[in-house]
Amino acid sequence: MTIAALALIGAFVALYLTMYKMGAIGHLACGLGGCERVNTSKWAVFAGAPVAAWGLAFYIVTFAVALVGTSPALAHRREISYLLAAMSFVGVAFSAWLTYLELYVIEAICKYCVTSAVIVTAIFLVSVADVIMRPSVQTQEPQPLE
Amino acid sequence: MANNNPPRNARSAAATSSSGRGRFYAVLLAIVVVGAGAIFYLMKSPPAGDNGAQAQAAYAALQRDYAKAGPPQPYVAGNPNAPVVIEEFADFECPVCGSFATVTEPDVRKHIIEPGLAYYKYYDFPLPMHHNTQSASNAAACADEQGKFWQMHDQIFAGQDQWGLNPDGATQVTDNPKSVFMGFAKAVGLNTTQFEQCYDSKKFQSRVNANAAEGFRRNVSQTPTFFVNGKMLLGSQPYDALKKAVDDATAAAASAPASKPASTPAPTSAPAASSPR
Repeated sequence: MTIAALALIGAFVALYLTMYKMGAIGHLACGLGGCERVNTSKWAVFAGAPVAAWGLAFYIVTFAVALVGTSPALAHRREISYLLAAMSFVGVAFSAWLTYLELYVIEAICKYCVTSAVIVTAIFLVSVADVIMRPSVQTQEPQPLE
Repeated sequence: MANNNPPRNARSAAATSSSGRGRFYAVLLAIVVVGAGAIFYLMKSPPAGDNGAQAQAAYAALQRDYAKAGPPQPYVAGNPNAPVVIEEFADFECPVCGSFATVTEPDVRKHIIEPGLAYYKYYDFPLPMHHNTQSASNAAACADEQGKFWQMHDQIFAGQDQWGLNPDGATQVTDNPKSVFMGFAKAVGLNTTQFEQCYDSKKFQSRVNANAAEGFRRNVSQTPTFFVNGKMLLGSQPYDALKKAVDDATAAAASAPASKPASTPAPTSAPAASSPR
């Protein structure tokens, strides 16, 4: 549930940046002024699509998986926890790369990108905690009555 | 005996409780409402951070430190060996510059530049109150990279109403002129992929800055400002005034043939990519 809530928040952050990148928003509200520099750099596009759009897709999928995982039928399945941990690990790695580019290559910080990096890191930590804390459901053979 | 108690943890705990699920959906709904409201609020906030205040600060910094900018790289047209050099410092978003470019400049090109009477140099001088002018200068520089500066120059000025100031003279038609400039790029036959990469990365911002710095060096404070063999003419000029200035400069150059026609104090390196007409 925590993961679904975090993913939904992240989706709105990514949606805002995607709307800017697609031209639906004229400017980014950014007090420090680095947001547009980051989001108009050549690294703001990955594999032919805006990085923000990839982020939006990631958060939507993560939200969907987490939401499905809360259903009573699946709430006890460890596979969902593993899947969320694996997905968010990729998200953390990608965010780390983007943050490196911001700090050392573009030399500008976009606060929305940092917010997204924090959210995906939180999702990763929660999902890892979920994997660790979730006891495996053991199917026990019926014991013969004595 | 089989363990019938489901494991309790973050994901499953609330899933097993209907009241917990109710709270969960309420939280999600709250996030949707707050998130949509936040985006709406941010869309309506003034662009002070990135465009307005930042443009003012950048202009002030350039004005203060213009000596540090590199040599200007004006866009050129005509015969570089002509006896007269006309230099224009203009702002793409300035309505008067637009009027000159669309009404007077065609005659200047036809009757002065093309016959070889004068060599023409265009310098960016983006003013800070025009929030989209830097983008326009960048678009023009990116067109120059593909050898079509003047075609883009004409499109940008002729289409000021699509991306520049509203008729009130204070507000902008759009906060994001990129789509308009992309349309112009397509109209003049540019490679739009290359243009977009150039535009997004502000590849030629230093060139725009250097051209503006040249204006500060020469005490330009309004647009358009012309120099005809170094003689400053403030404001938009009718064709006849510009022709007279060229004729006077031609006569002066003829009487002093040893003097160089170029008026620019620092040597202006016209890039090979510029497209002389």
